[in-house]
Amino acid sequence: MLLYRTDEWYNKLSQEELHELINQNKSWFERLTARGKAKPGRALERTGVTISGKNGRFVTDGPFAESKEAVGGYLVLDVETIEEAIAIAQTSPGLAYGGSIEVRPLAEECPLDIRARELAREEELVNI
Amino acid sequence: MLLFRGNDWLKSLSSEEKQKVTDQWMAWFRRLTDEGKAIAGNPLEREGKIVSGKNRVVSDGPFAESKEAIGGYFLLDVASFDDAVAIAQECPGLPYGVQVEVRPVAAECPVASELKHETQFANA
Repeated sequence: MLLYRTDEWYNKLSQEELHELINQNKSWFERLTARGKAKPGRALERTGVTISGKNGRFVTDGPFAESKEAVGGYLVLDVETIEEAIAIAQTSPGLAYGGSIEVRPLAEECPLDIRARELAREEELVNI
Repeated sequence: MLLFRGNDWLKSLSSEEKQKVTDQWMAWFRRLTDEGKAIAGNPLEREGKIVSGKNRVVSDGPFAESKEAIGGYFLLDVASFDDAVAIAQECPGLPYGVQVEVRPVAAECPVASELKHETQFANA
């Protein structure tokens, strides 16, 4: 999965630069889709809330759109290796202007399950 | 879209608690899927890479122990933002320190809407 991290760098671009980038992005994505490498991705609105605390009682505004860490959109790839995903991320047209892309493997299994198994194994060892 | 933030909270749980949260989380996702409210979801591996800059430099990250690191996501199909917030408030990880970021999926790319806005302004 590619997570687009953005600090709204695109606000600094001229209209021509934006036009060019949008066209580049479009053909980049079409190329990936045609090769079966990408599933439909989505952009996220620049607003949202974060929920935390027991029973989700804290609802706060955020993330702040101007944060460098804010996620602006995502793309799910269909590739065999993380190296291939990284190589695809490196061809993303927007990188020339700013922002960054986080490349993360989708987990086969939930990390919660893996950790529960590890703990069970540790307990077994203690009991031997 | 729900983005689940935080990876470190897991370490403080006993194996029974962990099993309990896992079961609750799976049942929660299954229920939302059955109700047609969740259309996709995945946990993410805890390690990844960051690609950035004109030279497309690859670096390690995000740091797994970060409170901000994204551990997984659900893509929801709901009528309103409030529905999504209400679902996020049911997340079984919340009592243990998980944060759920709720974000509307954009109808179009923000870069494109920015451009449209500018064009309108220029023509006004």
